Amino acid sequence: MNKGGPGGGGPTAAAAAAAAQKQKTLLQRVDGDIANIVDNFSHLVNVARVNDPPVRNSQEAFMMEMRAARMVQGADSLLKLVSELKQTAIFSGFASLNDHVEQRKVEFNQLAEKSDRTLSRIGEDAAASLKELESHYSSSAQKTNQNMDP
Amino acid sequence: MEEGMELQLSLDKLPIKRLDSIEENGMERFPLNADYDEKRISLIRRIDFAWAIEKDEEKKKQKKSSKETSTPWQWQGMVDNLKLAHQELSVIIDLINTVEANDAVTVASMTRPKPLPNEALSDLAVSAATKLQCYRQVGKYFKQSAKAFEQQLAREARFYGALIRLQQNWKVKRQRQASIVPGNEGFTFDLFDNSYDQGAIIRSSPMSTVRVNHDAAGMLAINVSPNLCHSLEFGFVGAQLNMQKKSNENKSPLSDEHCLGETDTESSSDEEYVKKTHSLLRDVHKAIFNEQVFDLVNREAFNTSTGFSLTGLRENYLQLSLGQGTSVYLSLVSTGQDHPTVEGELTNNAENASSPLDSSDILMHDAKQNTLKKKGQHSISTCYEIYIQQIYQEHIFGRSSEKPISSGNRLSGAQAKDGSSLLGHFFMSLAHRIFSSKILAELENVVFKVPYLQLISNPTWHSRGSSWTLFMEVPPSILHGCQIKTSDYCEKNSIKRQFWIKVVVIDDRINVKAEGSPNVAGLFKGKSEDTHSINKYDCNLADLPVIILQQVASQIINWLYHEALMVGIKANRDFLCLSFELEQGETLGLVANVDPEDTDGCISWSLVMEDSFAEVQKLHKNITNGASEYRKFLGPLSLDLLYATLIDLIAFVGGCGH
Repeated sequence: MNKGGPGGGGPTAAAAAAAAQKQKTLLQRVDGDIANIVDNFSHLVNVARVNDPPVRNSQEAFMMEMRAARMVQGADSLLKLVSELKQTAIFSGFASLNDHVEQRKVEFNQLAEKSDRTLSRIGEDAAASLKELESHYSSSAQKTNQNMDP
Repeated sequence: MEEGMELQLSLDKLPIKRLDSIEENGMERFPLNADYDEKRISLIRRIDFAWAIEKDEEKKKQKKSSKETSTPWQWQGMVDNLKLAHQELSVIIDLINTVEANDAVTVASMTRPKPLPNEALSDLAVSAATKLQCYRQVGKYFKQSAKAFEQQLAREARFYGALIRLQQNWKVKRQRQASIVPGNEGFTFDLFDNSYDQGAIIRSSPMSTVRVNHDAAGMLAINVSPNLCHSLEFGFVGAQLNMQKKSNENKSPLSDEHCLGETDTESSSDEEYVKKTHSLLRDVHKAIFNEQVFDLVNREAFNTSTGFSLTGLRENYLQLSLGQGTSVYLSLVSTGQDHPTVEGELTNNAENASSPLDSSDILMHDAKQNTLKKKGQHSISTCYEIYIQQIYQEHIFGRSSEKPISSGNRLSGAQAKDGSSLLGHFFMSLAHRIFSSKILAELENVVFKVPYLQLISNPTWHSRGSSWTLFMEVPPSILHGCQIKTSDYCEKNSIKRQFWIKVVVIDDRINVKAEGSPNVAGLFKGKSEDTHSINKYDCNLADLPVIILQQVASQIINWLYHEALMVGIKANRDFLCLSFELEQGETLGLVANVDPEDTDGCISWSLVMEDSFAEVQKLHKNITNGASEYRKFLGPLSLDLLYATLIDLIAFVGGCGH
């Protein structure tokens, strides 16, 4: 899919040649498969004529089955090619992958910063609360009373 | 008539019969071209011509008989004719039967009769119908395969959709060789993190590659055995109850998740499924990280020995002694449903724990107190679990990008400078925590007994430093409110209304800073500016209460001294004594006694009357002698009472002076 593209970020010559070669073979396969399907289909259509000698008719029936099977086979091959292309797309879409990795990195960094901030805020809140509680306690009746009585 | 019958039989009927049989053949696809001559001959042979001969003979006989019977019956001719007709018919039927039995009779010698138009049409119709049937079949075949393709396409779309989404977060690898196996495209998730490259070989986990399979619905499926997933567990040896509770807590969510992953794959949508797979992978990833941490700890535990020592070692279990009678363990616990191993771990721990008295002081506290405290203990060990993971997480992943020590990592900011190992740092922190909790207990004890002291915690945001402030506020002077002039005086001499003592603990060193109490050395030199200096003491845990109480007492003395000065009475001040000169060289002293064991209040006061001009520094000796002076024990006093006492003393001294 994007193998045969303009080459992205400067692959080596060998890689480019390999990619071109691959693209060529893929295109050839597509062409072959489609030609096969069309050919078989035209044959299939051609034998639609009802022939006079019935023997030919039965012969043609066999032929039709064969042609149909070949068409299905061609379609299957095309589908395989499509899934191969999908795989290639998945494993060669480095640009989008990198983009995504970068994006995730930014996200995670933000998340980390956010959690850091939250943590420090929690810490400060806790410290403030602790301070408040301590001052409450130290000015509370419980602490002052127990020492006042003697 | 007979002649006519013969002719019909041989010329007229047979072609019709032949036509019929050919039609049937055509229908049933009998190839006719093979051995045409032979077949013809054999067919001709099968036709029985005996009847013709017999017929001839019968004719002759009949002729004879007819000749013999002179008087023929009048209906005889008709009967004969009927008989003949019957014979003819039976021959015809016979022939038909023969033809029917043999399926194929062709008489090649005959020229093919030109079919009638309707016959030709019906022939054609049959052919056309056959062809149509063929096309129908082909169409059905196409439909079937199209459906199959559609299904395959949908499955692939699901699979690749899921794969793409997972690929955005995980490293997906493809192995071309493995794609031969059906239901397996040869994809694997590579979960192994190689960002840690210290040249050391981390044990490669068997989980680090997760294979991707298709499930029955064509969906992406991974199978991770939950038993392989380990979670790190840190705890104090001897705290098994908590551990069990905790392990159970840990277990339930993950097992749930595992169930989810297995059962309702069909019902859930793809989105959810991807999410589930994602979280499963995340679990595996976490487990791998835990293993890495455990591995690193293991290695460091053997290599370095600062502040701790290795005391126990088992598979996925590490016991370390921290000194101070504390030992901790670090273990990898399987998060799967395999209870027996965990329980085995527990029993082993129990055995271990029972042997020596290795429980920490905190655990002693636990023993005294109850489950509430145990919960605290549990959370403490969870804290350390998180902390050790955080340390190693930063070590493994955070090294490459040298982050400035921001607010985020201030907890571990010191570890790099410290030079010691991570584990060393961790255990120093741990030891510090334990130590500082003891100090806090001491401080709380002191503050509890001395009413006018307040304890303020100062968060340091450092794992190996703690700080507290003991704060005291003295009551305002009675002169303060009514005399405006004195306020100037107050500010000039800066009589402090608030005093503080700061206790700073770094690692296992206690540093006490007290403000406002007179420096002993400064007192001897008579430098007044030293009296408001800040005193620093290093001390140990046992001396801490005494030192703090002394500082507090001396701060009070200092305050009273300044109050006395403000009123205009000359007073002498010692470290723990304030003395006034009376007439005839007598001195009246207010002396503080410090006793941390005292339950009423740790600082008690007494009035001391001395006869002679005693040297100030001999006062203590005199007290201990206790012979020559008059002494009145006042007991622990509040600041207000002390102030009132001072005012009384001043009045008394003033009265004496006048």
